[in-house]
Amino acid sequence: MRDKKGLVLCVDDEPNILRSLHWMLHKEFDVMTAPDGLSGLEMLRKHDFDVIVSDQRMPGMMGSEFLREACKIAPRAMRILLTGYSDLQAILRSVNEGEVFRFVNKPWSNEELMKTVADAATIAKTQPVPVPVEDIAGGGESVLLIDDDKEMIELVRQALSPDTQFRHASTLSEAVTILSAQPVGVLMSETRVGRMDATPLVKLLKQRHPEIVSMMFTVNSDVDAIIKLINQGQIYRFIPKPVKPGFLKLMLSSAVNKHRELKRSPGAVRRHAVEKTPEGLEEKLEQDIQLEAVRIAPATAGTASATNDSSFMHRIGIGFRRIFGTA
Amino acid sequence: MRFRLVRYFTFASLGMFIVVTLALTYFEHQQASFFKEVQSAEAEFIKHVQANFAKQQEEAARHDLLAIHERANVDLTLLFANMLWEKDFAPFVAKVQAIPVDQCRAIEDITGPDGKKKQPDSKKACYQELGAKIRALPEYKSLDAKVFSAMKKSSVFKVKVFDMRGITAYSSEAAQIGDDKNGNAGWKNAMAGKPSSELTHRDKFSAFEGVVENRDLISSYLPVHAPGSDKVIGVFEVYTDVTGFLDQIKQTSAKIATTARDNENQMEKVAEYNLDEVSKMSNNGIAIVAGLLLLLFASLFAIVRRAETIIRQQEHEREQAHQQLAQAEKMALLGQMVAGVAHQLNTPLAFSRSNISMVIDGLKSFELPLKVAHAFARTVRKTDGDRVTLNISRTRAQLQTIESQDDDVVMLAQMLGDTLQGLDQMRELVENLRDFTRLDREKVTHFDINKGLHTVVYIAKSVIPNRIEVVEEYSDVPEVECNPSQLNQVFLNLINNAAQAIPDNGKITIRTSLEDMRVRIDITDTGSGIPADVQPHIFDTYFTTKPAGEGTGLGLPIVKSIVEEHGGTVAFTTQDGAGTTFTVHLPAAFPETLLKAA
Repeated sequence: MRDKKGLVLCVDDEPNILRSLHWMLHKEFDVMTAPDGLSGLEMLRKHDFDVIVSDQRMPGMMGSEFLREACKIAPRAMRILLTGYSDLQAILRSVNEGEVFRFVNKPWSNEELMKTVADAATIAKTQPVPVPVEDIAGGGESVLLIDDDKEMIELVRQALSPDTQFRHASTLSEAVTILSAQPVGVLMSETRVGRMDATPLVKLLKQRHPEIVSMMFTVNSDVDAIIKLINQGQIYRFIPKPVKPGFLKLMLSSAVNKHRELKRSPGAVRRHAVEKTPEGLEEKLEQDIQLEAVRIAPATAGTASATNDSSFMHRIGIGFRRIFGTA
Repeated sequence: MRFRLVRYFTFASLGMFIVVTLALTYFEHQQASFFKEVQSAEAEFIKHVQANFAKQQEEAARHDLLAIHERANVDLTLLFANMLWEKDFAPFVAKVQAIPVDQCRAIEDITGPDGKKKQPDSKKACYQELGAKIRALPEYKSLDAKVFSAMKKSSVFKVKVFDMRGITAYSSEAAQIGDDKNGNAGWKNAMAGKPSSELTHRDKFSAFEGVVENRDLISSYLPVHAPGSDKVIGVFEVYTDVTGFLDQIKQTSAKIATTARDNENQMEKVAEYNLDEVSKMSNNGIAIVAGLLLLLFASLFAIVRRAETIIRQQEHEREQAHQQLAQAEKMALLGQMVAGVAHQLNTPLAFSRSNISMVIDGLKSFELPLKVAHAFARTVRKTDGDRVTLNISRTRAQLQTIESQDDDVVMLAQMLGDTLQGLDQMRELVENLRDFTRLDREKVTHFDINKGLHTVVYIAKSVIPNRIEVVEEYSDVPEVECNPSQLNQVFLNLINNAAQAIPDNGKITIRTSLEDMRVRIDITDTGSGIPADVQPHIFDTYFTTKPAGEGTGLGLPIVKSIVEEHGGTVAFTTQDGAGTTFTVHLPAAFPETLLKAA
C-alpha cells in the first residue's frame, strides 16, 4: 500500500453518508467511521487522527458538541463540520467551543471536500499544536475595536487587562490608518460599521496577517455569512449581543493569549489558514474604504487636509498597501 | 342564533313608544273625563243654586203677597165689621146660631174610594136644608144687598161669615150658606184669634160679579172681636183676587228662570269650549310627545345602525385576522415541515451526488481497459484459428498502467446501489409528502387512519428532534369518512405539540383502537404535562403559552374544530411532569351504516 496522507475520522448517523465519505477518501487517507458522537470520541482516544469530519445533525450528541469534546481529547486533529440545516446557535457554539477549521455544506462537492481534508491533514501533520501555556510572557499588544457604538467602546476598554493597548476606530478608513501605523494583536469588529460591511476587511486581514486574532459581534447574522466568515476569515470567537461584561473579559484575555501563542510559534498560524477569498475582494475593499473616507473627511478631518483630498486618498492607499502587502 | 341589533332595537323601542303613547292617551282621556265630570257637577250645582234661589224668591214673593193681603183683609174685615157687624151681622148670626145643626152633624161621614172621608149625600142635603132655612131668614135679603153694594168694584170676590159653631151663616155665594166648616184649620185658627190666609188657584169661581175663571185667590179666615175686647164673636172669610200680583210674581220667576237657563247655557257653552280646549291641548301634547319620541327613535336608530355597522366591520376584521392567523399557523407548520423535509432530502442527495461523481471518475479509469478489450476482440474477429498475435511494441507502456480493477467494479456497483437507495429514500419522502398533502386526491373519502398516521409520523419525524422516540402501535380499525388532508393537519399538530412538550429525551406513542364503534386515536407523550391553570384554556382561540410572535394560539382550536366537523371529539388527560395524552374519537365508516344511509 502507498503511504496515505493521513488518518481521518468520519462521524455521521447515516451509514450511506459514511460509506460515501469512505469511498471518496480511502484512496488517499486512512479512513475510520463512527455512527455517533460517543463512539467517535471513543475512537479518538484510541487512535491519533489528523482530521475529523462530523455531521452536525445527529441523534444523541450533536456535531458541535462532539467537536467540542474532540477538541479536548485530540487537539491536534483538524475539525471539519458538515452542515445541512443547522440553527445559528449550534454553528456559533461549534466555532466558540469547537474551534472549527471549516464548515462544509451538504451536499458537498467531492473535489472541494477532498481538498479541504487534504489541507487539514497537511496542516495537522506539519504544524505542531501550540502548547497552551498559562500567561505567556508578553505585553503591549494592542487591541483594535472597530465599532461606532460608544457604549461598546467603554465596555471593551473596561474589559481589557492593563498590559494591553486599546485602540478604536469608528470607520474602516480609521481602522486602515491604525493598522498601517502599528501591529495589532487582537481585532474586534461589528459585522457592519456605519454603512460599510466590515467582513471583507476582517477576512483579508486574516489572509495577510494570520497572527491577528479576530473576534466578531453577532446580533442576527445568517448562518451562511457566519460560515463564510469562519472559512475565509478564521474568526476566533463570535460574541453574541447583548454582550455580557464577564464573558467579554474572558474572550478578550483568551484572544490575547492566542495571539501570544501564535507569535511564539509562527508555524501554528497555519492551523488557522483561511480559504482564498473571491477575486477582486481586495480591490473592491480599497475602493470602498476610500469612498467612505471621502464621504466622512469633510466632517472629521476638515481642518488640515480639507484642501488636500488627493494626498489624503493617497495616504490611505499607502496604508492599505502596507497592510495587505500587495506588490 | 344571530343577534340582529337594529331589528331588535326597532321592534323593542317602537313597541315601547306605542305603549307609552297609549298610556299617555289613556291618562289624558282620564283627565279630560274627570274635567268633564267636574264641570258638569259644577253646572249641576249652579243650576241647583239658581233653581233654589228662584224658588225661594217666588216663595218669598208669595209669602209677602199673602201677608200683605191678609193684613189688608184684616183691615177690610175690621172695616166691614165696624160697618156691618153690630147692626146687621150680629143679630143675623145670633139667629143662625139658634138653628140646630146637630141632626146634620150626627150623620156619619163615609170613606170614598180614594180613602178620603166624604160627606154622604144625606148629610149634604141636611146642610142644604140648613142653608135654605138661613136664607129664609128675613134679614138675609137686605144683608146680602148691603154686602154686595159694599164689595162691588173691589178685589174682594167673596165674603163669608161663620157662626161660633162653624156653620156658614152668610156667603156671597148663596149656595154655600149652611155649610159646616168647623173642621177647617183656617176657621179654627180664626176662632183662636189668629187670622190665617191661603193662596189658592180656582179654575172657576163665583164672584160678586158673576162667575170668573182662572183666578188666583187669597182666602183669609179672620176673627171678629167683640168691640173693646179680645173675645172672638164670629169669623169672616174673605176671598181676594191676586191673579194680577201672582202673574207679576210668576213673570219675575219666569224671568229669573230664563236668566238662569241663559246662565246655564252660557256655562254649558263655556264648559264645552273648555273641554274642547283641554282635549285639543292634550291631543297636541300627545302629538308633540309622539313626535319627540319619533325624533328620539330616529336619532337612536341612527346611532344603533352606525354601531351595528362598526360591529359588523369589526367582526369582519376579526374574522379576517382569524383567517390570516389560521393561515399563518398552517404556513408555520408547513414551513417547519418543509425545512424538515429539505433536511431529510439533503442526506440522500448528498451521498447520491458524491457517489455519482465518484462513479463518473471511476468510469474514466475503465476507458483504457475497454479500449484494449475492444482492440483484442477486433483482432480475434480477424483471426480464424485459436491463436492471435498481438503487437504490443507501441502500447506496452500504456498496458502496464492497467491494474487489477476487480475491486473497483464491485465498488462502483456498490456506489450505484447506494445511490439507488438514496433515490428510493427520496421517492419514499416524495410519496409521503403527496400522501400528506393529498392535493391530487378526493377531498372527502374513506380513509385508513393507520396509514394516514404513519405518513404523518414519517413527516413529523423530520421536524421533531432525534432525541425523541416515536412509537406507532396500530390495531385494526375500520376506515373513517373524512377529509384526510385536514385530519393530517390535526395529527401533525398533535404530534408536534407532543414533541414540544418533551424538553429532553422522551417518547411519543401513537395508538389506534376501536371503541364503541368509533375509532380512537391516542397520542401520548412523556413530556412535562399541562399545568392546571392552563388546562381549561388550551382549546381557547388565541390562547398560547409560547412567547408573543411564536405561537398563534390557533393550533388546538383548529384541531378541535376540524375534529368536531368530522363528528368526533378531542380530549386530553395530563399529569404534571409525567406527560399528556390527547385522545381523538372519530366515527367509523362501517359498511352497515353506509347501507343504511343509502
